[in-house]
Amino acid sequence: MKFASIIAAAVATASMAAPALADKLDDIIASGKLRCAVVLDFPPMGSRDANNQPIGFDVDYCNDLAAALGVQAEIVETTFPERIPALVSGQVDIGVASTSDTLERAKTVGFSIPYYAFENAVVANDKVEMADWEGMKGKTVGATAGTYEAIWLEGQVKEWGEGQFRPYQNQADVFLALSQGQLDATVSTVEVAEANVKSGNFPGIRIVDKAPMVPDYVALIALRSEHGLIDYLNLFINQQVRTGRYAELYAKWVGEGEPADLTIKGVYR
Amino acid sequence: MFNYTFQWKQALARLPQMLDGAVVTMQVALLSMAIGIALAVVLTLFRLSGSRILSGIATSWVEIARNTPALFQIYMAHFGVASFGIHFSPWTSLLLGITFNNAGYLAENFRGALKAIPDTQARAGRSLGLSELQAFRFIVMPQMLRISFLPMTNQMVWAILMTSLGVTVGMNTDLYGVTQDLNALTFRTFELFAVAAVIFYLITKVIQLGARLLARRMFRY
Repeated sequence: MKFASIIAAAVATASMAAPALADKLDDIIASGKLRCAVVLDFPPMGSRDANNQPIGFDVDYCNDLAAALGVQAEIVETTFPERIPALVSGQVDIGVASTSDTLERAKTVGFSIPYYAFENAVVANDKVEMADWEGMKGKTVGATAGTYEAIWLEGQVKEWGEGQFRPYQNQADVFLALSQGQLDATVSTVEVAEANVKSGNFPGIRIVDKAPMVPDYVALIALRSEHGLIDYLNLFINQQVRTGRYAELYAKWVGEGEPADLTIKGVYR
Repeated sequence: MFNYTFQWKQALARLPQMLDGAVVTMQVALLSMAIGIALAVVLTLFRLSGSRILSGIATSWVEIARNTPALFQIYMAHFGVASFGIHFSPWTSLLLGITFNNAGYLAENFRGALKAIPDTQARAGRSLGLSELQAFRFIVMPQMLRISFLPMTNQMVWAILMTSLGVTVGMNTDLYGVTQDLNALTFRTFELFAVAAVIFYLITKVIQLGARLLARRMFRY
């Protein structure tokens, strides 16, 4: 009798203690809401439609994930530099924000497996003579602050030892500066480059060449300690590819052609 | 609140780069103050000149500088003038933007200071044979600068803090720009910006204390 009551007490304590062990994944399911940081200044990954509603590849990706979790998606707009503060201070649960998975950054936040990969293009002002990417040597070049291509380009300018690098705060300012001739060239994802050349919003620019960098693999981000959540994200990305949803989203937002291969030959993830 | 482990060593390892940035920040701020004071004196003369056109120019300058965001002024100094084919580097744009702002605010400070100097002094000077400009130069202006010395330090502090707006025009060599570059590289947002904030605080504190000591030495009555 006494033994049974001890067991009952132990069970009661254990079941009460259980919520304290809940991880982020449990929190999301329990709250019924998934808050994603998305950059909405980065078409076709994220932007706003005519009614000011968030749209794009990343927005759909967040919605898909929320549907898989059986919760409501909430898109929280951030800039590239604001992604991390938003995540770390708990304003968002994850970032679906084209975040390049560098080793330096992985010391600070947790990365999923890549969910997309960008190729980058060199875009130049029409008045500047430039045959290929090496034509950027000695020129005034710039890119969006906080992006993979900006880090690459700044490193390249330092290596050349001539020319100038300028990071602007958002993609629109980069292309404005390029169109005005304040920048001779920029490096941006092929998707963004093509969209901006085609849109006609930035006259006098052209795509010159592909940038010779390792494909820019981008991943979902979560707090580094949330392994349960990161495991779920990994499986989710795998499922997106497996079910053909990845190709579907690519066709919807990027267009013709094959979406980038997310596997790397010769090595385990 | 914070579900995060702070790594201060990671930020402190970047301190030399940030201090280099602090030097650039101080250069821009000091230069913008020096030019700003000179321009503010000119604007004050414009206002006193009695000419409609000149005082109109001065008034619109002061109105725009004081009633629009500094961010807008700096942005215009870069992207705005570029649409007329004039290209300034980020450094120059930032300097121009802050200088424009400084001149506007300082001109208003000077106007306040002038109110504290009795008209009769300039008139006494005139009666002793000084020209109007001489009376301003030797009698009014020294007092004007003395009275507005502490407000000027205030503006200097503002100038230091305004340099952080340079990132909007592609500046990446000043303290804030360097910090943001490092942030993109490492994602150590909180550590890096905390260090930057301390550096900003120290710079402005040193300026304030320095100005107070200077004032005590210079303005002994």
